[in-house]
Amino acid sequence: MSREEPLDQFFERMVEGEPISRRAVLQRMAAAGVVLGGASSFLAACGGVSGTSKKTTDTAAVAAVNHPKAAIGTMVFSNWPLYIDRKVIPPWQKANDAKLKYIEDINDNDEFFAKVRQQLEAGESIDRDLVALTDWMAGRWIELGYVEPVDKRNVPNRVNLQDSLAHPPFDKNRDFTLPWQAGITAIGYNPKKTGREIKSVADLFDPAFKGRVSMFTEWRDSAGLVLLGDGKDPTTASADDYKAAIDKIDQENKKGQIRRFTGNDYTKDLAAGNLWACVAWSGDLVQLKADNPDLQFVVPQEGGMSWSDNMMIPQKAKTPYGAETFMNYVYEPEVAATIAAYVNYFCPVKGAREILAKKDPELAEDPLIFPDDAVLKQLHPYPSLGSTAERELTAQMAQVTGA
Amino acid sequence: MRTTGDRVRDITIRVWAIAAVIFLFVPIFVVILFSFNDNQGRFNFTWQGFTLRHWEHPFAVEGLGEALTNSLVIAALTTVIAVVFGTLMALALVRHRFRGRGATSALVFLPLATPEVVLGAALLGWFLTISVSTGFVTILIAHVMFTLGFVVVTVRARLEGMDLHIEEAAQDLGAGAITTLRKVTLPMIAPGVASAGLLAFAISIDDFVVTNFNAGQTITFPLFVYGASRQGVPPQVNVLATALLVIVIALMFVVLAFQRRAARADAAVAPEPA
Amino acid sequence: MRRRRALMPLALLAPGLVWLLVFYAIPVVTQLWVSLQTGNADDGFAQTWHWGIYPDVVSEYEDQLWRSLGYAASATVLCLIIAFPLSYFIAFKAGRWKNLFLLLVILPFFTSLIVRTVAWQTLLTDDGWVVHTMIDVGLLPENGRLLATRTAVIAGITYNFLPFMVLPLYASLERLDRRLIEAATDLYSSRWSAFRRVTLPLAGPGIFAGVLLTFIPALGDYINAQLLGSSQQYMIGNVIQGQYLVVRDYPTAAALSFVLMVVILVFIGGAAKLVGGRTLREATA
Repeated sequence: MSREEPLDQFFERMVEGEPISRRAVLQRMAAAGVVLGGASSFLAACGGVSGTSKKTTDTAAVAAVNHPKAAIGTMVFSNWPLYIDRKVIPPWQKANDAKLKYIEDINDNDEFFAKVRQQLEAGESIDRDLVALTDWMAGRWIELGYVEPVDKRNVPNRVNLQDSLAHPPFDKNRDFTLPWQAGITAIGYNPKKTGREIKSVADLFDPAFKGRVSMFTEWRDSAGLVLLGDGKDPTTASADDYKAAIDKIDQENKKGQIRRFTGNDYTKDLAAGNLWACVAWSGDLVQLKADNPDLQFVVPQEGGMSWSDNMMIPQKAKTPYGAETFMNYVYEPEVAATIAAYVNYFCPVKGAREILAKKDPELAEDPLIFPDDAVLKQLHPYPSLGSTAERELTAQMAQVTGA
Repeated sequence: MRTTGDRVRDITIRVWAIAAVIFLFVPIFVVILFSFNDNQGRFNFTWQGFTLRHWEHPFAVEGLGEALTNSLVIAALTTVIAVVFGTLMALALVRHRFRGRGATSALVFLPLATPEVVLGAALLGWFLTISVSTGFVTILIAHVMFTLGFVVVTVRARLEGMDLHIEEAAQDLGAGAITTLRKVTLPMIAPGVASAGLLAFAISIDDFVVTNFNAGQTITFPLFVYGASRQGVPPQVNVLATALLVIVIALMFVVLAFQRRAARADAAVAPEPA
Repeated sequence: MRRRRALMPLALLAPGLVWLLVFYAIPVVTQLWVSLQTGNADDGFAQTWHWGIYPDVVSEYEDQLWRSLGYAASATVLCLIIAFPLSYFIAFKAGRWKNLFLLLVILPFFTSLIVRTVAWQTLLTDDGWVVHTMIDVGLLPENGRLLATRTAVIAGITYNFLPFMVLPLYASLERLDRRLIEAATDLYSSRWSAFRRVTLPLAGPGIFAGVLLTFIPALGDYINAQLLGSSQQYMIGNVIQGQYLVVRDYPTAAALSFVLMVVILVFIGGAAKLVGGRTLREATA
């Protein structure tokens, strides 16, 4: 049982079930481990899993941005699923003699970030010219310097941006972003199943709906609504407030009140009748109602959350000019109207409503796609708590949701 | 002497077996059935009527055709590479004694004993560390990695059941090592290699977890379905899944026919001992 | 001449071996390295040899670990019960339909795992006839459901891994010498005794292989829990996936992966001791 024994005989004896001293096994493992560990640690030192370094936005770079007109080739756009009417793609391709590679690979902000994080840190291109990420993730990318500034000369249609979305806290002058679509987080429910109207966040915790309620895995949506239900303002609440809200969600979950924590897969269960009341996104409900008119979307009396998914140009994009022409294109009211008619989310482009009113007046009147001031007043954007606190809250929520 | 007890037992086993097979096919029936569902909206889980329109336009859903092609190509490449490398390894492990044989055996077996989530995460971490961007090639690498073990185990089983004397006879008659391999060994292990290949193909085309971690921008069929399942799986997915099944069944019948012909040929040449 | 013959195995082994070393062994060992680091995704990780992460991680995710063991064990036992008569039938009673049955067993594999599990979602939906029938018959309470319960998750795992139990069982049963069974039947008073004392032990390698091939992947599964269960059913695989892809706490994810692997190796070791070395070799051959 010494180290000199040939390894294969050693293994055969182990397999035969003969007694082998723990020491011998450890010796073997150690020897093997050192060899392999040494190799991999050497390579790890070369590659390195370093952290996301903190770069600061360079105002000079913003001012000096220049994306001259150039041949586009293929423009790569990563977006969320079911977020575009593909009819609008061919005209852009023809007008710019380019090709659009449209990939629906964003299902969750964190998941997508994890996919491309390494290349971003290393200062490399992520092989995409345009991505659409939610406010808080967009803000983080800007803060970390992973985004190219937009050459506003290539996007004259940006003046069509709705006033309410023009100066968000994470990108005050819209130097880096332009909203793709915006949306509302509130409650979607089936009155036939619940047996009554839902008016308040507290209704989600009604024991009569035990096991028929869902919330998002995303704490900004779920805990934000809970805070609203407790009378707090989610935009200005503290990290401790959010911790308490997540604790409350944990308790309700342990009681069996919450059937599932979901991403956008709550839609299937809501339509199937497995879920009766969900924390939901406005656009989903508009689409679901087309199939099932019973379903309702309600902004609770305490309020709801508002957010937008923002187009941004990642660092080292191959054709920032191409990305900008596309941004400009979707801000033409005609095009925006087509997209809004299909996607059914909160349209960020002025003038789209009037165009849609001629084609589909019902959609043009839908307060979820074109919200009026009364609705807007009830909505609150996500908070901005700093990366450490937000990371802790993400981890806490992951614990609650079982991940 | 068959008693009633025997008869009852036989019937029970037969019924049980058939019930088990039916159980295995229940979701498959659902998949096939709903490929004909005349669904009006986005979802495909309540029966709304019979239609053939999804079969008429199986590739109408954007990205589905590309995903399926990716899966098929990756599975084919994986099968070829894994079968070649795996068969060579099996030959080495069975026919030769060498130092480190036990360790190699263990190394081949370990990926089978590792949960997919660990395999996928470890491999992704490794690719990130050496700054290799994930995509088609990394999926292929991963698939070969975890099918190798299956191939080796399957071919090994066949090899160990083989009579060594035939190979020795061939060499006595003057055949070199490579000729023996080509004309004697390989044909005799062909069924084992074929089933190893089929197994590797099936595992590769079905894989989700490891692929999910290492796919980058590339979408395979299981990944597409997973992404779509969050919204509502389009019926075209059912259509393609059914079509794939039909093709596999057809292939199997071809293989079975060949096997039966080969068996008959063998029997004609070398009659079984009484 | 001797050197060429000595090099021969190396040449045969080289491609596969290198592949496994580079793409399995090193990544897995790297995970061990990563698990000992401290830090977070934003500020970076530093190697601190923090072995304390292992007890931390085990106590924090104790529930999911036990749950995974329980679910995987239940599913494995169920698979064994369902598969054994099926494999016995195919090996001994199927005659010329043998290949057809084998094909039928492996065929569902060719539809994607996700497609099959989503089909189960459709079948087990609250308003579907499966649930309604079970309520009518009294197996479920009035407002009961199957989805998002432990039952659905275990059923899903059992279903998805059934072929892994059937095939090895069949392989070992098929290799049995019928004459042994005949002799046993002659010698023992009842067919049940013959079965228990002869057939079953001879099928040992098959049972062992089947249990391994079912229990191990079931332990690390997360798809069934995610699609058919709720957070109360989440297994250790869900945790690893979440830690890796959402929380990006790589040391924790890596540590959990290693704990899982150790559990599995202990299980294999224990099962091997139980079953005996010869059976182990036969099973893995």
